[in-house]
Amino acid sequence: MIEYIFMITTILGSIICLMQRDLLKAAILTGIPGASLAFLYQYLQAPDVALTQAIVGSAIIPVFFALAVYRTRRVED
Amino acid sequence: MNYLIPLMVVIPITCALFLNLLHERTRTVKIISIIVALALPTIPLIANYGVQYFGGYQPLAQNPTIAVGLPNLITGTALNIFHPAITYVFGSAQKLMIVVLGFIALFAIYISLYEVKKASGVYAYLMLMGTASIIAMLLSDDIFNLYVFFEIAALAQVGIVLVSKVDYNYETALKYMILGSIASPLLLIGIALLLGVTGNVNVTDIVYSIQHGLVNPQSPVLLMACSLIIFGWLYGTGLPPFHTIKSAMYSKALPTGAALLQAFSVFSFVAIGIIILRIFSYLPFAHIFIIGISLVAMTLGITMAITQTDFKRLIAYLAVGELGYIGIGLGLGTALGITAGLFQAVNEAIITAFLFIGFGTIMYKTKETDMRKLGGMLVETPKSALLVLLAGLAMAGVPPFNAFQSKLMLVQASLNSGLPEIAIIMVLLSIVTFMTFMRAFHTIYLRPRPVDLEIKNEKIPNITLVAMVAFLVVCLVFGLFPQIATNFLQGMAMSIA
Amino acid sequence: MIMDTQLASLLTAGALMVIGIFGTLFLDNLIKKVISLAFIGDGANLFLIAMGYKVGGIVYIFLPGMSMSNFSQNASYPLPFALVLTSIVIGASTMAVMLGIIILLNKKYGSLSASKILGE
Repeated sequence: MIEYIFMITTILGSIICLMQRDLLKAAILTGIPGASLAFLYQYLQAPDVALTQAIVGSAIIPVFFALAVYRTRRVED
Repeated sequence: MNYLIPLMVVIPITCALFLNLLHERTRTVKIISIIVALALPTIPLIANYGVQYFGGYQPLAQNPTIAVGLPNLITGTALNIFHPAITYVFGSAQKLMIVVLGFIALFAIYISLYEVKKASGVYAYLMLMGTASIIAMLLSDDIFNLYVFFEIAALAQVGIVLVSKVDYNYETALKYMILGSIASPLLLIGIALLLGVTGNVNVTDIVYSIQHGLVNPQSPVLLMACSLIIFGWLYGTGLPPFHTIKSAMYSKALPTGAALLQAFSVFSFVAIGIIILRIFSYLPFAHIFIIGISLVAMTLGITMAITQTDFKRLIAYLAVGELGYIGIGLGLGTALGITAGLFQAVNEAIITAFLFIGFGTIMYKTKETDMRKLGGMLVETPKSALLVLLAGLAMAGVPPFNAFQSKLMLVQASLNSGLPEIAIIMVLLSIVTFMTFMRAFHTIYLRPRPVDLEIKNEKIPNITLVAMVAFLVVCLVFGLFPQIATNFLQGMAMSIA
Repeated sequence: MIMDTQLASLLTAGALMVIGIFGTLFLDNLIKKVISLAFIGDGANLFLIAMGYKVGGIVYIFLPGMSMSNFSQNASYPLPFALVLTSIVIGASTMAVMLGIIILLNKKYGSLSASKILGE
């Protein structure tokens, strides 16, 4: 049952992330689908993939994006 | 156990990583690059044919000691002959292609080391990484392993473009990566569908499952997988609709990089094309689609080359057009056709590298790639002009060069398959190629020199001329004695057809 | 429940890919384009994971005390999961390279607009 919630947060999180005008917010919000996917992988019987995805998807990728935003410009033009 | 087979991939990758760390130490970088570059063509030359199972897990049928005591559910079914390990197959066709790729990489690395004052560890790293991944793609019998190296090759190609200081190289590289990030998940889904239907990623096992009725060959999921894999193939090799971006990639790289990039495209074309043919050749429209897309690639590539004013872009489009010839050979599906296609692939990789390096001497002397501003270079560089002329003749398929033999075989194969129209188109496009090349040659070398053209007073490095002569010798040898090459390629062609 | 977990996760994968492709095609900002590309990759990974999933199955790790026959009948298929591990790492490294190029391009153009930078 709980996996359906993670599916919904994945999709909604990705949509909300792309709707932001502030790029830093968008960068940090990429962590939501990443983390939900990690939990979803756990429920889909893939614990080792879930561990990797939890690190890459919810920590490394948002940090990369945030760094890129920090080095460029914050507001979309 | 044949340890030389994995070493073909392992040595370049390990040394590439070292070179990246040694970035500032020019002498060390030079020495290591020279040794590794020499190893690239020599290891496949001395290696014996064989099969490498990573981790040593042979199929159960070949290793009865493990099979003792397993239930009949495993030993009595097809599971007994399936390959549990990642498998590398090193046959005669792979031998010839890897030697040729290593030969091109050898000279590309040598020229890049000697044309600049300070050898760059990063550039050598990218070239070695790309070469290693293409070698792995040629060897691999495992479709997911092929995908991983496909991605590494794409990153290495982008890197080669990024380190050249040509204008607008970043924009082109970003565009290529954006397209790639759409195409490679689609390729991955194609592989996933194949895996879902057959339960395997090993190509031999997939073919076995399809041919022996373990899965339904007419399943629509397999059709979907076929189309997705073909889409990834189009992206990776620069067939239409990706011909524009691929030729832009060639033209934004340094001449040595471009020579290597087109060799990567040619051999990844062959590697993925052979896998598509092996798995999906029972679908009649697979052949028709390959022939169709190849015809479009030939026509678009060669006609777009006519209108170019930048000579690097011109050769880049010709290179994309020539890919079409290989595709026609593979698409015909007969043993003669596939042999001709593979032979054409080997020839084209050599000739286009020859042309890129030959025209690279112009860039070295003048820092100019726009043909409208060039002229009268014959007086400045008579030796390389002669060699470039010979390379152009070879590309157009003039005897006694190698492309003549392979194009003749292609024409014969298409006539034998009852498709004389394709033969006519191929001959016509060869003539157009020759015309396009001669126009470029005339503008750059023969017409009077424009007043404002500045020519640097530097000698072309000897290694460039040596490389061009070496390519010419290979062209002549394959042209005069085509049996040397076709004997290597026939075995693979027979097994696919 | 109306549909089982496997079908629902396949649909989620499809939705992620559609969102990603839409964003890549129609959003102008380069950083957002790259975020959308990351979603396409995530969708493909979820697709593979959902294929290995077995409804009512168990995790494919053989722990001491399990019976062999029970494990072989109920364990999910581990091969797709092994592939996804590689694929996640490849995706992250591709993202990093793209963001690096974007930082350089921003220095040159002073903008992140795709139509300005890639439009020629």
